[in-house]
Amino acid sequence: MTILKIQQLQKRYGPIKALDRLDLQVEAGQVFGLLGPNGSGKTTTMGIILDVLRSDGGHYEWFGGLPPHRARRRIGALLETPNFYPYLNADDNLAIIAHIKDHSQTDFGELLRIVNLEDRRQSLFRTYSLGMKQRLAIAAALVGNPDVLVLDEPTNGLDPQGIVEVRQTILDIARSGKTILLASHMLDEVEKTCSHVAILQNGRLLAQGPVGAIIHQELTVELACTNRAGLMALLRDLDFVSQVKAEEEYLLCQTARLENVAEINRRAFAAGLVLHHLRARNNSLESEFLALTKANNAAS
Amino acid sequence: MIKLLRLEYLKFRRNRVFRIMALLYLLLLPGLLVVGFNIKGIPEELGSIEQFFIFPTIWSLLAYLGNWLSFFFLGIVGVLSITLEFEHRTLRQNIITGLSRPQFFGAKWIWLFTLSALATLYYVLVAGVTGLLFTETIYLSKVAEGLSNIGRYGLMTLAYASFGWLVGTLLRRTGLALFSYLIYAFFVELLIRWALHFQYFPHPSMHYYPLNAFEDLAQPPIPQIAKEFMRENDFSLYLSTNEAVVIALAYLFLFWALIYWRMRRSDL
Repeated sequence: MTILKIQQLQKRYGPIKALDRLDLQVEAGQVFGLLGPNGSGKTTTMGIILDVLRSDGGHYEWFGGLPPHRARRRIGALLETPNFYPYLNADDNLAIIAHIKDHSQTDFGELLRIVNLEDRRQSLFRTYSLGMKQRLAIAAALVGNPDVLVLDEPTNGLDPQGIVEVRQTILDIARSGKTILLASHMLDEVEKTCSHVAILQNGRLLAQGPVGAIIHQELTVELACTNRAGLMALLRDLDFVSQVKAEEEYLLCQTARLENVAEINRRAFAAGLVLHHLRARNNSLESEFLALTKANNAAS
Repeated sequence: MIKLLRLEYLKFRRNRVFRIMALLYLLLLPGLLVVGFNIKGIPEELGSIEQFFIFPTIWSLLAYLGNWLSFFFLGIVGVLSITLEFEHRTLRQNIITGLSRPQFFGAKWIWLFTLSALATLYYVLVAGVTGLLFTETIYLSKVAEGLSNIGRYGLMTLAYASFGWLVGTLLRRTGLALFSYLIYAFFVELLIRWALHFQYFPHPSMHYYPLNAFEDLAQPPIPQIAKEFMRENDFSLYLSTNEAVVIALAYLFLFWALIYWRMRRSDL
């Protein structure tokens, strides 16, 4: 089932194209990451699909065409900063959220326990730290047990402990089968939490698909031995190895499978090249992202 | 509409400024009557002070006093009702959570309408009790003579609140909006009316400006002075009450249309 369909969405801020004919589709159960540097159009996209920004073209639909405000009642959202009435406590603020969502919930103890705010539920929102505000925003997004969560930079401004907690909360929610749309400029965050990803730059879609497809399965192998030239020559002769290059400390190459790394080690030893360093690492989303944005810059 | 009204109540019931505004209105409306009653030495031609406190004059006296209170308290509540939502970005959050923009407009409208209605009910209560206390012999016909004041008072309170709402919607910042609301009322409109309009086009249309029209919904209960001025200068200081009602209604619908248009069109 398609949860969200975005077609040819456009938005301009004066001469700047914030969104340039963006197409996206999010299916039920996906944890969909919207990844891009600051200013790439992530928040603008979320602002439009949550009706706080007006698009200049294109359209979107939730749940196959439900009226937008009814659709939003089935969505829990955290867009940029947490926004609450500062002179009200956590319970009163959540009561407003529940009232708008037509939800009869009056006891928010369980939600506040999930985000570790139960002890401060009677404190006014204005007395909260940034982390507490962010956690209350996540609790607010969960009011009414929504089908979909839309989270924009949910770990922004949190300390390392807070980041871990929020990520864990997101993963727990994802495991319960909910669809999550998560915008982030942190590659690591998307890599750790998302099943699918769309990469944006300057309002344009660069790539979209399962995280596994966007991150190529090739491994980067670091090698070192005393005979650098010999090792370099050997690697260049191997047909299951590509992109051999020398870096300051190590030689680097790419290969498709982990078994190939053992084969490299065996062949090197057979050739009298004793490795004193061998390490295989996954290509990060970061390198993929940089490669994609580089290609996009070169094309434009 | 009840759901939207309850939403606004949930938002503002614990807001200290709103509570103070409500308390001041509740205290000052009868308080001004007490102060007025203790004024010594009013001009002889106006008669005794007591005559202002009996039916039907009490309706227009209290409406005139309430005019000032409504301008301050309902107007300021109108401003704050929307600027606090902009400043705390809760308008944005309300929409994200599931209100449509027309629903947000409707919530503010029913909220200000209800506050205006409550302010008017209180006016009826205070004027009614005062009239009953001071009028020796009560004739229903005399009581009913001033009843049209009630409708105009309600319109006036709603008009001030809506004007505040419009200023708040256009300017978004509380301080700037409150300052502009007061400056417009005390200086800008007066300057436009008397220094420009009257100088270059001395026509009764100089009274058609919004705050003047709202103010003229509740005129002071000494119309003979105004009538004398009109006779001497062949020029009216006030709009007739019917004119004031029509013009105020026209402005009200214009304000609501502007707010609605702005609400539908703008990024939040």
